[in-house]
Amino acid sequence: MARMKFLCDAERCIECNACVVACKNENDVPWGVNRRRVITLRDGEPGEKSISVACMHCTDAPCAAVCPVDCFYTTADGIVLWSKDLCIGCGYCFYACPFGAPQFPQEEAFGVRGKMDKCTFCAGGPLPDNSDAEYAEYGSNRIAEGKLPLCAEMCATKALLGGDGDVIADIYRKRILKRGGRPQSWGWETAYPGG
Amino acid sequence: MNRRAMLYLVLLATGLFSTGCYEKPQVVFFEPGEYKGRTDPLLALEATPEQQQRLEQRLRTVQMDR
Repeated sequence: MARMKFLCDAERCIECNACVVACKNENDVPWGVNRRRVITLRDGEPGEKSISVACMHCTDAPCAAVCPVDCFYTTADGIVLWSKDLCIGCGYCFYACPFGAPQFPQEEAFGVRGKMDKCTFCAGGPLPDNSDAEYAEYGSNRIAEGKLPLCAEMCATKALLGGDGDVIADIYRKRILKRGGRPQSWGWETAYPGG
Repeated sequence: MNRRAMLYLVLLATGLFSTGCYEKPQVVFFEPGEYKGRTDPLLALEATPEQQQRLEQRLRTVQMDR
């Protein structure tokens, strides 16, 4: 069984933010919520790197571990989804997630946040596949249509990959071999240049 | 007498009307670590080898380096 994963190649990402726009458009994401964001390191300096970040669909998801109402479930191929019917908007998942993926549409008095929202890997939620109700609450369900997340599929430089982790690892391994080395977006040379 | 019959009739109608408002309670007992929400139909679809094949084919067609 495949395990669905995202991988962003920092050497290829050009910070065009098309993945962010594609996600918002495809899933009709509400104002104030970004299921995907592009993070730029060393902005404007030599060696600038950008990566596109969303929910990483963790194997042992910390958001699911801390949820007091257990509104999360994981599909057979590792996509972490949740039920908005069960979510109480407590915000624990937001604090637990190392990527800042869970977000809340409201910010009002007495900590009213609304129901949590995050990347669904374009797999909708626990409602009939591709129904109007599912689209309104969770966005589109491309997985049920045999397609993969739009952010990855429309990436112009193919920096963002999304799908079976084994196939993605193969694609990335071939790129690294072609480049003749490991990417220096992190590691000793990045942390201590010239050291 | 007629008024009394009317009163009984009204009481009976009110009783019957109130019974219509009864809502059957749906209690879901919480158990730690167990998802008790609605079942996602995608779970059954994803378990089929055809769907797995479709997604892998899609990945190789759309995202593979050319």
